[in-house]
Formats: sequence, C-alpha cells, structure tokens
Amino acid sequence: METFLQVLVSGLMLGALFAIVSVGLTMIFGIVKVVNFAHGEFLMLGMYLVYLITTKLGIHPLLTSVIVAPLLFLVGVATQRFVIQPLMSAKDDHVQIFATVGLSTALINLALLVFGADIANTPPSGLRMPIAIGPVRVLLGQLVILGASIVLVVGLQAFLKRTQTGRAIRAVAQNRAAAQLMGINVNRMYMLTFGIGAACVGFAASMVAPLYPTSPNIGTYFVLTAFVVVVLGGLGSVGGAFAGAMIIGLIDSFAGFYIGSDVREVVVFGVFLLILILKPSGLFSDRLNLSHVSP
Amino acid sequence: MKLPNMLKMTAAAIVLSATAAHADVKFGALYPFSGQLALLGEESARGLEIAVDEINAEGGIHGEKVVLVKGDAVDNNQAIGEARRLISLEKVAAIFGTYSSARSIAASQVAELSGIPYFELGAVADEVTSRGLKYMFRTNPYAKDMGKMIIDMVVDKIAPGLGKKPGDLKIGIIYEDSSYGTSVSKHETDYAKEKGLNIVASSSYPASTVDMSSLVLQLKQAGADVVLQTSYQNDSVLFLQQANEAGYKPAAVIGGGGGYSMQPTADAVGHDVIENVLDVDFTQFLVNTKATPGLEAFVEAYKKKYGSAPRSGHSLNNYVGAKAILEAIDKGKGLDPDSIVDAVKSIDIPDGKTAAGYGIKFGADGQNERAAMMGMQWQGGKLIAVYPDAAAVTKLNVAK
Repeated sequence: METFLQVLVSGLMLGALFAIVSVGLTMIFGIVKVVNFAHGEFLMLGMYLVYLITTKLGIHPLLTSVIVAPLLFLVGVATQRFVIQPLMSAKDDHVQIFATVGLSTALINLALLVFGADIANTPPSGLRMPIAIGPVRVLLGQLVILGASIVLVVGLQAFLKRTQTGRAIRAVAQNRAAAQLMGINVNRMYMLTFGIGAACVGFAASMVAPLYPTSPNIGTYFVLTAFVVVVLGGLGSVGGAFAGAMIIGLIDSFAGFYIGSDVREVVVFGVFLLILILKPSGLFSDRLNLSHVSP
Repeated sequence: MKLPNMLKMTAAAIVLSATAAHADVKFGALYPFSGQLALLGEESARGLEIAVDEINAEGGIHGEKVVLVKGDAVDNNQAIGEARRLISLEKVAAIFGTYSSARSIAASQVAELSGIPYFELGAVADEVTSRGLKYMFRTNPYAKDMGKMIIDMVVDKIAPGLGKKPGDLKIGIIYEDSSYGTSVSKHETDYAKEKGLNIVASSSYPASTVDMSSLVLQLKQAGADVVLQTSYQNDSVLFLQQANEAGYKPAAVIGGGGGYSMQPTADAVGHDVIENVLDVDFTQFLVNTKATPGLEAFVEAYKKKYGSAPRSGHSLNNYVGAKAILEAIDKGKGLDPDSIVDAVKSIDIPDGKTAAGYGIKFGADGQNERAAMMGMQWQGGKLIAVYPDAAAVTKLNVAK
C-alpha cells in the first residue's frame, strides 16, 4: 500500500512537470496553428537564463520567473515575427514546421557554442528538500511545480475567457478572416500568443532548473513527452494539456514500477495510440471551449 | 598486361613526388571537434597532439616531421566524408581517432577499403574490433574490460568489505538502452553469472528520461545491495539524486564510466551524496604513479600546451595509445600501410610501463589484449583510483 501510494504520488509529480512544460506548446498550437518544435529549446534557453541569474546574482531560482518569463515572451514574439510570420503566406503549412525544427537545431548548437556540452547546475536553494507526507516522500520543488502548473493553467484559462485580449485571441483562433473584419489585428494577436506560450515555458524553466541540471539537449528530454501530452489532451486545449500530462505521468510511473522501466515507453505510447484510435481528436478536444463562444 | 604496370609506375611516381614535395609525414586526427561530442572529442585529440609533439621533439618518424591533419567527425556521415578526404586528398599514412564508437565504426570501414591503417585510441564499443578488419587496431580498453573489472571489484573488494560471500550479494543492473549501456551491461551480466553472483534486477531505460523514481523503487523492493549503472550524465545525476531522495542506500553503487567520471556530475548530485560511489573507466589522474610511469610528465606537458589541467582521462589514454603506435612506426620498415601494420603488430609493452598503467599487445582481432580500465571512488568530491591495488592511491571504502 505504501509503495502504491509512493508510485501514485511520483506519477502525479511527474504529471505536473509534464503539464508545466506543455501548456505553452498547446497554447501556441491552438491559436497560431503552428507546432513549435523549438518549444523544448525555449525551455532550455529559459533554464540557462535561470542558471545565469541565480549563479551571478544570487537570486532564488523561483524569483527568476519574473525576469525569465518576460524575456522568453520577447523570444516568442520575435520567433513569430521573424520566423513564422514571413512563412504565413507560404503555400504549404509544413514549411513553418520545418522552420521551427531549424530554429530548434540552431538554438541547441548556439547553446553548445556558448555554454559547452557539460551540465550547468542551478543551485537547488532548498527545493530539493524531501518532505514526508505519511509514508510518502516528495520534494518541496515538486510540490512547487504542481502548485505552479495549476496556477498557470487556471490563470491562462481565465485570461482567455475573461479579458478583452483573451477574447480577441480566441476570435482569431476561431476565424481569422472574421476576426480581422471585426478590427482585430491578427498579426499582433499571433505575436502576443506566441509570446505568451514562450513565457509559459520560461516560467516553467524557473521551477524546473533547480531540480534538473541544464544542458544544451535538455529540451529534447521534455519535448517528446510534451507533444504526446498536448496531442492526448486535444491540441490547443490548455485544460486538456494538464489532464493529458497527469495521465501520462501516472501511466509512466505505474508502468515503470509494476511492469519495468524498459517497457515504460512501450506502455505510454501504446496507451497514447489506443486513445487516439478511439478518440482521434484527443481526450479534451474542445479547443479552448471555442464552441461556446459566439464570434 | 603492360598498361596496368605503367599505371602502377605512374601512380608510384606521383606518390613519390607527392611525398618528396612535403618533407613531412601526415597522419589524420579524426575526432568530433564540433557538435554534441565536441568537449571530449577535443579532449581526446589533445592526447594525440601531445604524443605527436613528443615524437617530433625526438626527431620525428624516420627522420620526418609528423604533421596531424584534423578531420571533424560531427556525425557518422561526416566521419565517413572526412575519412575519405584525409585518405584521398591529404594522403595520410594512417588515421588516429575517434572517441565516438559509432563514428569510428563508420570511418574505419572507409580506411579498410582504402587499405589505410586506422588506430582507435578511445572508443569502447565491441564492434570496433570485432569485425575482422585487417587495418584496424584499438589501444584502449573497451566495454568488455569495463564489465569485467566492475564484477571483479564486487567479488574482490565489496563482498569481503561487507563480510558477505559474493553469491550472497544482491546485484541490480540498470543501463541506458543504447549500444553503450546495452553492451556494458551484457558483459556485466555474463561475468556476474560466471562468478556466481545473484542478479535480482536488470532493467534498461532511455537515456533521455526525466524520471527514474519508479526504477529506484524497484531496486529498493528487490533489495539490491549493489547497483551497477551504465549511464550518461543526465541519467547518472537523476539516479543518484532520486535514490538519495527515496531513502535508498545500497551498500555500493558502481558506475560504468560516462557520467560517473565527470566532476560536474558530482557537483550536481552533491559531494555528500556521491561520497563512496564507485566508477570504472579509463585511467584518470589521481592514481598511484608508480603503476603509471610518465603520467606526471604528461600532465605537465598538457598544462604547458593548453594552459589548464586535463579535463578527463580521455587525453591521457589517447596519448598512451598514440605514443606507442608512433614509436613503433618509427622503428618499423617504412610508411606504407603494410610496414605500419607489421610494426604495430610487433608492439609488446608489459603492464605497468605506460602512463595509463596497462600494457600494449595486439590480439589477432586488433584489440589491445592488455588494455584495462581502473576502479575509482568518489571521496571528498574527487575521483580517486582505488582498484586494482597496484594503482590505488587510497583504500576502497565499503559502506559508511
């Protein structure tokens, strides 16, 4: 029973980790309709920023989020403006995908050039402290990630549903041409959305960096799972990404313990395929509940 | 019948005039100098460079100055391309390399077809020398030596240290699922069975994992006293941290090179957590120098040339291999491929006579039969040689 609880909690913590790095990805996809293959590298970039700020300025890693998230926002806006937007009129949408793949490779090699291949350690600053809840152990940092991922998801939903800008963003997602006719600056909304998506992953970087050593390839460690999470949750659904992340985290943890680490990915991706076959649009494919919004 | 002969004569004439034009003898240095593996690729190449400097200071090979021509093996395809360039355009007499097993395997195929000797100084996969190539030689210890030494250490040191018979220990083997982890763990399993050890868990995982907690729980449940992990850096850090956080304290953890040999790993994990963790890898620098004559001189030469201490034992092991081969070629008959091969085959350096400790004598497959790794332990934040006894600087600590 104790072991079961530990496996369960480990799964939830893993789910929270996947959720916090996936939310920005689904946001960008849902609205700009671009699969951002550089998402993992945005995380990597954020983690290096956290590393630099904490080690040079001695600021607590969690506090770096107020600097890193805005910086990543700018990176996101610039990516949309200078990489994606020029390709918007391209006949084939896939060109944008290739552009983000190129951006991802460029960023990895840039990081190799600047920081070298070795790992960079952000000081954990107390976030590695184990906390015992009954027989179950978690890290303080993992609880922070869980809390932060919930705040992020709820906050984003509220922003999209309750604010004027959020409504405009959703209008663009729903019907680009109509939104433009209503006087919404579509390009500006795309830049804003890409910026917000990148800021989300920058925010995540502040939580993730104290627990995971940073390296140029760290993004690829998270991004494959992030894609699975986002597709499983229903592309573009912020709440779906959270639920998808929890499901993947739990399956990963239980399969890893009860079946074996070597078959973990077989099980995770097997279940993933099964769900998609049964419900091709993903589990929560309401696309930011757009059906409830009048244009 | 005459035409081919004439062609041969012309070819020979061109080759002769080419070598006469340069008063140097060229060798290829094929390593990953950029890309993901650049750090240790470059570190490896530095060992070769120091060996060449020494040979040149001693008057070169057959009175000619040795010149290295670099080839950047960023990935397998480029390794092949660069090997072709070194052989056909640069006309190197032989290629040295490569650090990465996959690149070595790809590039050596090119060299073999061209009949140019290929000297591997640092890659550890079995396949480097198990393919029956005529011109391929490897000086460094490989996966099999690693697996063997890890199990020897368990039997000779850890079991007696714990007051147990080797057969009573519970062994858990975990490894990253690419060819590196798979081949080392296979050798570990084979030797462990040979020695009658009890393996209670054996599991692979992808090196790109972000969570090992379920694996840690499994080992804990299986009651593994000794954990053998073959891993890169990220997964070494993850395992050690998550085992510590789960309150799992096996009597011994032994890493197979990779992340376990690197200082940033210890810094990431925490020096208190990594204390007493063992590691088997290439000879590093905190060893008993009686067993490794020339090591101090190497470190001095390295510091003088590059302005810092060596960053890992890769440079040392490349230096030892390159030095032995270059000296042998100098003593040999000439610089044509077959004379080089003959010269290298006659190398017979006993154990304890090189700066890495191991001797050099090639088997029929081109593998250095005397190559051996070294057992080390993290003590006080440093990786110190503890096994075998001749090379040990300090005692191997078992349990706290």
